[in-house]
Amino acid sequence: MRRGVFWQLLLFTLIAGVISVGMALYPAWLPATASEQADRIGHVFWFTTIICAGIFAVVAAVLVYSLLKFRAPRGDNFETDGKPIHGHTGLEIAWTAVPFALVTAIAIFSAIVLGKNDKVGDNPLRIDVTAQQFAWSFKYPQHQNLAATVLRLPVDRTVRFHFAALDVLHSFWVPEFSQKQDTVPGIDTYLTVTPNKTGKFPIVCTELCGLGHAVMRSTVIVMGQRAWQQWVSRAGQATSGGGASAGKAVFTEQGCASCHTFKPAGATGTVGPDLDKLPEFAQAAGQPLEQFVRESIVDPDAHVEKGFPPNVMPKTYKTLPDEQLDALVGFLTEGAS
Amino acid sequence: MTHTAPAHEAHHAPASPPPRGLRRLTAAGWIRAAWMSVLFWALGAGLVCLLRWIAGWHPIWDWEVLAIVAFMVTLPIGFLAGIGAFDYWVYYALGYPTRPEDHSGHGARSWRDYLRVNTDHKVIGVQYLCTVFFFFVIGGLLAMLVRAELAQPGLQVTDAQGYNGLFTVHATLMIFLFVIPAFAGLANYVVPLMLGAPDMAFPRLNALSFWLLPIGGLMFVTAFFVPGGGPSSGWTCYAPLCEHNTFGNAFFNMGVQWAGASSIMTALNFLVTIITMRAPGMTFWRMPLLVWANFTTSLLVVLATPFIAASQFFVMFDRMMGMDFFNIYEGGYVLGYQHIFWFYSHPAVYIMMLPGFGIISEVISVMARKPIFGYRLMALSLLAILVLGFSVWAHHMFVSGMAPYLRVPMMITTLLIAVPTGIKIFSWLATLWEGRIHFTTPMLWALGFVSMFVIGGLSGVYLGAVPIDIHTSDTYFIVAHIHYVLFGGAFFTIMAGVYYWFPKMTGRMYDERLGRLHFWTTFVAFNATFFPMHLIGTQGMPRRVSDYAPEFADWNLFISISSFVLGASILIFFYNIIHSWRYGPLAPGNPWNALTLEWQVSSPPPVFNFDEIPQVVGNPYEYGVPGARHALLNGARQHELEEVPR
Repeated sequence: MRRGVFWQLLLFTLIAGVISVGMALYPAWLPATASEQADRIGHVFWFTTIICAGIFAVVAAVLVYSLLKFRAPRGDNFETDGKPIHGHTGLEIAWTAVPFALVTAIAIFSAIVLGKNDKVGDNPLRIDVTAQQFAWSFKYPQHQNLAATVLRLPVDRTVRFHFAALDVLHSFWVPEFSQKQDTVPGIDTYLTVTPNKTGKFPIVCTELCGLGHAVMRSTVIVMGQRAWQQWVSRAGQATSGGGASAGKAVFTEQGCASCHTFKPAGATGTVGPDLDKLPEFAQAAGQPLEQFVRESIVDPDAHVEKGFPPNVMPKTYKTLPDEQLDALVGFLTEGAS
Repeated sequence: MTHTAPAHEAHHAPASPPPRGLRRLTAAGWIRAAWMSVLFWALGAGLVCLLRWIAGWHPIWDWEVLAIVAFMVTLPIGFLAGIGAFDYWVYYALGYPTRPEDHSGHGARSWRDYLRVNTDHKVIGVQYLCTVFFFFVIGGLLAMLVRAELAQPGLQVTDAQGYNGLFTVHATLMIFLFVIPAFAGLANYVVPLMLGAPDMAFPRLNALSFWLLPIGGLMFVTAFFVPGGGPSSGWTCYAPLCEHNTFGNAFFNMGVQWAGASSIMTALNFLVTIITMRAPGMTFWRMPLLVWANFTTSLLVVLATPFIAASQFFVMFDRMMGMDFFNIYEGGYVLGYQHIFWFYSHPAVYIMMLPGFGIISEVISVMARKPIFGYRLMALSLLAILVLGFSVWAHHMFVSGMAPYLRVPMMITTLLIAVPTGIKIFSWLATLWEGRIHFTTPMLWALGFVSMFVIGGLSGVYLGAVPIDIHTSDTYFIVAHIHYVLFGGAFFTIMAGVYYWFPKMTGRMYDERLGRLHFWTTFVAFNATFFPMHLIGTQGMPRRVSDYAPEFADWNLFISISSFVLGASILIFFYNIIHSWRYGPLAPGNPWNALTLEWQVSSPPPVFNFDEIPQVVGNPYEYGVPGARHALLNGARQHELEEVPR
């Protein structure tokens, strides 16, 4: 290759490299990380980005250079041909071997990070996550089976999630944690996260799970260790006891709010019917309110309101303990009338 | 180098006179197709009702079972029988006289010949292309509706069910009714010509495989109007959601069977044609790379497609017959679906890419006036992709909950595919080097493809690395990646192919200025639409949602506006193609001065392609080599034959 060509190509590569590095640096590609795993995933991301930006720069430079330098002369109607180069063994070996080495490096780095990210440690906080259409619920088996629909985690402690899905596939993702795991009916799945920043982050379902997929959201709040301890002990006391407060707790715990609107609980979901209108629905069905509410919970397709498809509400609520079911029915009946 | 229709053709034309009177009802064609469709529907419906009555199942008239058996199985068979797809075989099987040398179904004398069962590979190629662009328009309009819904957070255009249906049918049509069959159509036209063959190995099977295709397509489209809503589980149709979902999903299950059967038959046909019908002297190492690409693609299709057929049957059996493949309460295994599905659908990614690689090799070599750089390594890298392509399916399942030990091996094979793919990219670049590049419309699409496919390939490297995939899986990053490889990749190559062979297929030249305008508007709007999706994906927007967090609103509005420009740009293409097909200037036999065989005959080629089978004497891309020839045709060969003592 002539020397001038080499320097020109190098210049083109540098320009393309600067542009791609700029593209990589200017927008915030990854959300502000909030877990150790996310930090490590970020490292793989940037390692890969450097390699890819380099390859892109070389390809772009050669392409643009060729397009500028090797245009056919005007008026040439496919009569003249280019230089008959059939190949170059050295080059062909090079562009087989170099990408091979680069992807191997990415693979090794990824495997190391994967191993570290799956490490659970000695004293993980276990959290049982139940996913169903279209709600998340969380239990803390090491803390009297405390149940919640908003996930609260202590900072700087490794959390081991155990996932169960009641109906279809769902997927648990907190963008700031980077870690993601599908929940699969019939199979136990796990995920390890070590939050390292306090704050409030969204929990997003990323596996298409039906009509309410877009609204199957919850929140994770990462708290200071002491604040979290206080919350655990206070929340532990609230679940017991009867009356409206217990009913409201069941309502929140079971994730009713993600699909239904219900003022007394501050719920604003729109996937299912508006529960503030329960008395009207009961009247239309010609049933006493309480009976109607109970039946609609244990057998959701017994009465399907106009404008809503059947087979959307989970049929799993019939397994609620009687005590909780009574509390829930009481809360709904009182709150709506 | 233009030839008139050879004498051979005259022996077989014209076809027998059009039937009169009652014969019109029984002769193969649309009238017979109409009444046989009704008859076979009634047979299917009667059989269902009879069996349910005998078994004492109520209601006897169960419309879901009827829809599957009568509408989606027996009616299409009746239609195919009526239109004449089985006539020869039925005559043969029943012992009626057949005419093995009957070429009445060959060639097209008017546009009506495109609407009947035709056994000419060139007619079938055009039938394929017209059909796929019809479904492309529907799929494209669905995409416009998707983007209209996503222009703002919240629900404006449709509801959740409607939205899920939109993206499901959009993807299904684009994959099964556009990209895969568009390549089948182009290859149908070009491969026999490139091989120096008069037709495909099995012309009647070829006709049948075309007619299966619109049946699958119509099922996907009609699924929208099914009471309760269309298919809404995504094109991946994951169990168990698709089993519980609206009945429209059954249309997806069955549509895939018809489209899949079409692709398997075509692939078998290509394999036999390429192996047995190469002209004398056309060794494997002298085949154009497009033929190599279709050879490897056909192997992929034949080996992989039965897996998606199985996965969809499992889902349908679960739904209709109460079987328990994916029912966990009876020992079903949910992840089994994904393993079987992706064992097809990952190779399908290469089914949608390798023929495009072939097209690009043809276009770049001809338009840069250079031999393909590293021809043998180019062919070998296709084979490497074929082999590796079967060992990477579980990279779609890194977060699925499959056995964790599978992740690292699948990551390694996935990343290794970057090596043969890289070889192809670098070799195309080297082919441009010191060439004489003509910026014609097909070349613009080819160069656009190379640049866009590099981006799609590199985002694929990100996704191959398990930790990054865990973060980006099921986000808009995936949507961006798939559109860079299937739109910037496959679609751009289809466009390159359509423009490149348009003069050959229609005998007319397209409008070069409109072609360039089409390319540049598409290229800019495409990047404006899909590049920002990488960003909102890594930042946290999941895919397949009708509603999203307000922080993504600005980018989504920008993406939606760009996508409408992208949608509008295709109008330039349709105007150019339709107008040029009717009024364009006549095309010479070889407008690009190319060496491969399809350009050595008239445009369009005679019914049986070559007056006599050409003699291949050299490689297909010897541009710039003094005195090099790919093949000797007619005159030249005649001359040689005369010198041979008899």
